[in-house]
Amino acid sequence: MDKILLVDGVTREYPGRVAVSNVSFSVESGSIHGFLGPNGAGKSTTMKMIAGLLPVSSGTISLFGQKVTPEGQELKNKIGLLPENAPLYLDMKVEKFLQFIAKLHGVKNIREQVDHVMEELKLTEVKGRLIGNLSKGFKQRVGLAQALVYDAPFLILDEPTNGLDPQAVVELRDFIKKLSAKKTILFSSHVLSEVEQLCDQITIIHKGRIRASGDLAEIHRKFRQGLVLKIGLGTGESLPDLSSFGSFEIQHHSQLSNEEVYLVNFSSEKDQRADLGKFLIDRGLHLMTLQMESPELEDIFLHMTENR
Amino acid sequence: MIFTIWKKEVESYFSAPLAYVLIGLFSLISGIVFFNLLVTYSDGIQSLPPEYTEQISFVEEVVLKFFANVNFLFLVFIPLMTMKLFSEERRLETLDLYWASPVKDWELVLSKGLAALTLVLCFLAVTIIFPLVIWGVGIKDFKLIGTSYLAVLMNAGAYISLGMFCSSISSNQVIAGLLSILGIMFLWMITWGGHLNSNYLVAEIFTYIGITSHFERLLRGVLGTQDLIYYFSFIFIFSLLTVKSLGRRNW
Repeated sequence: MDKILLVDGVTREYPGRVAVSNVSFSVESGSIHGFLGPNGAGKSTTMKMIAGLLPVSSGTISLFGQKVTPEGQELKNKIGLLPENAPLYLDMKVEKFLQFIAKLHGVKNIREQVDHVMEELKLTEVKGRLIGNLSKGFKQRVGLAQALVYDAPFLILDEPTNGLDPQAVVELRDFIKKLSAKKTILFSSHVLSEVEQLCDQITIIHKGRIRASGDLAEIHRKFRQGLVLKIGLGTGESLPDLSSFGSFEIQHHSQLSNEEVYLVNFSSEKDQRADLGKFLIDRGLHLMTLQMESPELEDIFLHMTENR
Repeated sequence: MIFTIWKKEVESYFSAPLAYVLIGLFSLISGIVFFNLLVTYSDGIQSLPPEYTEQISFVEEVVLKFFANVNFLFLVFIPLMTMKLFSEERRLETLDLYWASPVKDWELVLSKGLAALTLVLCFLAVTIIFPLVIWGVGIKDFKLIGTSYLAVLMNAGAYISLGMFCSSISSNQVIAGLLSILGIMFLWMITWGGHLNSNYLVAEIFTYIGITSHFERLLRGVLGTQDLIYYFSFIFIFSLLTVKSLGRRNW
């Protein structure tokens, strides 16, 4: 697939600190790209630089083959941005506000476009209300509507589900998934399960540096580094020496009511479950569970962002 | 684009009570001032023997003093209008909406400046009754009235551009407002500094930089090119500084 966004060696410095350092990653056309990182990692700064709101101190960002700069006007209508704090005029009515944004972006058929977006985001019922009087969920939807009202092909959504109630989160997530049929989306979130559900590709940023970037499956594979097996034995039974299967390490041991569960990390990636099962049974152990464990995104995220 | 933002800004002024409070207060205070000036003039005329009454000029005592007082009111009213122009947007992060759109910074500054000037025109509109009263008493010097209005409008433009710049450098409205008031006072005081200085050249420079001498000349009906150049350069420089301040994007 075509890479429509290329971030190449981008650094953003503020007096006395570096917010983002030598960041490089790319986003493929038509994908939902997850952008992960703890608070203060540099996600919002990076997203604002991609949207052309902030200049880069060094490096380049190109979108649709054009260089992104705050002065460059050509790309502005191609990027829909929902920043972390949805920028809203609280003293404006929903419909008027969206019409205003559409005018700023030079939309031709303003009325149809605004009506369409309000309908898509179920805002029609509140179109005549002041934004300041709306609930957090509605405000966030208005924030998303302003990013969609000029029909930009590339969307940057900075933690769009943050602070919403569970039902609103599910609705918004479904909507984003629906949007991905027509648009490329760069999406940041704290909720890792959400990223796993929505994104095919991710970038993990920590302390202003990229820790990992690429296909989610590929990152899973890279992180695994060997094979993790979950082995369940009978109550009171302990795991024998498994060094005949290569070097190994017991990551975790827990006692359930009728099972001793061991999480064992083998350095070899070879699937040796058949031999291992026979080995354990031959030693008179009651093998109750033997399954391959793949690391959760949360494990990867914590590994990437801890103590570095 | 400029019209779109101007319209939104004007609507925003009138969607909040501040604009109505300011216009109400302005008309009340300016009304009291005008009434007092008329009474003082009338008392002065009546207390003098008829042969001396012509020495008290209506224009000097009422018209010029009235517009000088309007200028004094602007010291507070204009910073109250301009203090939120950018600091509020900075606090609510709504400038992102403009920065994510094809709107250029100069268009944004111009639109907001024109919207503030529109509110000033609303202030001045309520004072239109006073020239009618003056006309009623037989003073028909409309050129003088016109240049007086032009003088306060030019001063308002200068104060607005200064206020916008102050608002663009602070996210705190109160600080932005105080900076504007101090800035306007500085513009007045620098002229006084010129009057006090014995060095001719320094005195001339101070007098030119200060706003008061230009204002007074316009107020007296002298439509000088150098004064217009002063006002337009002042407005241009502070608008440019505001554009540059926004362009730093360090918020």
